[in-house]
Amino acid sequence: MKIAITGGKGGTGKSTISTALAIELAKTKKVLLMDADTDCPNDHLILSIKRKKEKNIFQLIPKWNLNKCIKCGKCAEVCRENAILFVKEKYPAFIEDLCNGCSSCILSCPTKAISKSKQVIGTIYSGKKYNFDLLTAEMRIGYEEASPIVNALKKFSQKTEEKYDYILVDTAAGAHCNVISALLGCDLALAVTEPTPLGAADLDLILKLCEILKIPSLVILNRSDVGNKNLIKTIVKKYDTRIISEIPYKKEIIEAYSKGEPIKEESINQIIKELK
Amino acid sequence: MTKTITILSGKGGVGKSTLTASLAVLLSKNKELLAVDCDVDAPNLALVLGVKNFETIEGIKTSEKARVITKTCPACKKNIDVCIFGAISWDDKNKKPIINKFLCEGCGACKLVFPEGVIKLEKVQNAMVNTTKTKYGFPLISGHLKMGESGSGKVITKVKQKAEKLAKKEKKDIIIVDSSPGIGCPVIASIQGSDYVIAITEPTPSALNDLKRVLKVVEHFNIPYGLVINKWDINKPFTQKLEKFSDKNKIPILGKLPYDKAFVYSLVNLKPIIETAPKYEKIFQKIINSIKT
Repeated sequence: MKIAITGGKGGTGKSTISTALAIELAKTKKVLLMDADTDCPNDHLILSIKRKKEKNIFQLIPKWNLNKCIKCGKCAEVCRENAILFVKEKYPAFIEDLCNGCSSCILSCPTKAISKSKQVIGTIYSGKKYNFDLLTAEMRIGYEEASPIVNALKKFSQKTEEKYDYILVDTAAGAHCNVISALLGCDLALAVTEPTPLGAADLDLILKLCEILKIPSLVILNRSDVGNKNLIKTIVKKYDTRIISEIPYKKEIIEAYSKGEPIKEESINQIIKELK
Repeated sequence: MTKTITILSGKGGVGKSTLTASLAVLLSKNKELLAVDCDVDAPNLALVLGVKNFETIEGIKTSEKARVITKTCPACKKNIDVCIFGAISWDDKNKKPIINKFLCEGCGACKLVFPEGVIKLEKVQNAMVNTTKTKYGFPLISGHLKMGESGSGKVITKVKQKAEKLAKKEKKDIIIVDSSPGIGCPVIASIQGSDYVIAITEPTPSALNDLKRVLKVVEHFNIPYGLVINKWDINKPFTQKLEKFSDKNKIPILGKLPYDKAFVYSLVNLKPIIETAPKYEKIFQKIINSIKT
């Protein structure tokens, strides 16, 4: 079973809950935790895991053979990412960080002056602790597109997925392409939220996204006693889902979190009961 | 000259919108200000500023998606691997390609390899740019990405263009920009052209890790920046570590905010903290005074 831990708003407790869930589930099941927040992966920090580098993630980039280039500007014309600058009678200039590797420039070149080269866009790491496996991927700083990193991580895990009972996918905040890539292929999404108007507004967005992607969702309410629970209840009702666990605001949780340690919490078992 | 100040954090939920709202309200007291929400995935600044409805809502199209327009194309099968985003699969029954619109980035590579008349690229209305006047007197422009759509970077660029136009027309002194978490395209699009960046963080290992990553992006664009430490008292030894880090890297600390449930109540009541707990006004004023552009 593949379960995404998501939520829309940042800082609601996605990583805290993902790591605590992985520790608890791994007591009886085979578990893989995937940190798909490739902009800012943090699960290994919370778990104090020293990661081992598995491989670099490459992306195709164009390389020009200027002897063949006739300065027609076709490549710049088809590039929708504006990664190729063309000034009349000059050779095209290429901005690597903007390239998404789509290969349209290569396909469009009338003189075949552009060939395939590659650049590193991120790195995949692995780790092990508490009897479960961790896979994380990190985007190279300055690179823009997070979803190819998420997709590379998913592809990398595919080889070993069958040996696990549970695969937990900790997503980034927000609701755009990297979150969509992380959610696709999941059997269930756990949306972590908090009882504030911001938490509710972003929960509304992420549950709508799950609905569009046809992924069933359940809600975890963190810091459940600080704010107004009715805000969340309204949203939950709208999407015909339910709150499966409420995690109260506790000093011990804040302390463990601020030290970067996994939390121990009764409410995590409630979530597990729902998953079985 | 209008100055643009962008608020970012790397990690989510550390207080970007809370900081932006109070700074905006305070700055607007003696400057002409425009607030912009560039967290187009999950825009919240309007909520924090008590905006219920926008005066104008404009749909924008910054994204394209491929669509199969042919009934059948048996010869197309060999070309489906052209899509590096994995958005094209094969419909064996109808002998034609199928496009997964959630994975399609609109790059147009498929259109270049498939025969004429198989694929069409269509512009998609993927976002809204909403504008309104807040009850504090200054205007707010907020970008909203449509659910399931892509291209947040391009949407943000459009939102900022609109903001710059309005700022010029209304002779604004300051544009304050709230950005999204992370370090990728939305954040890069948000900080481009900024005169100053305020990075907000909290004393936790995750937040520091993410802060370091996002600051490298800011340095890449050569924009001056300063730091605000939120919830500084939840882990005092770690705050000292943050102070050492900023000292070593010559990053000015503009201000420190304590952990106080008053911040949660201000969010629940949809009011900036300086309104619900005026005692904090002096900390925000100190932040403003410490900004050097």
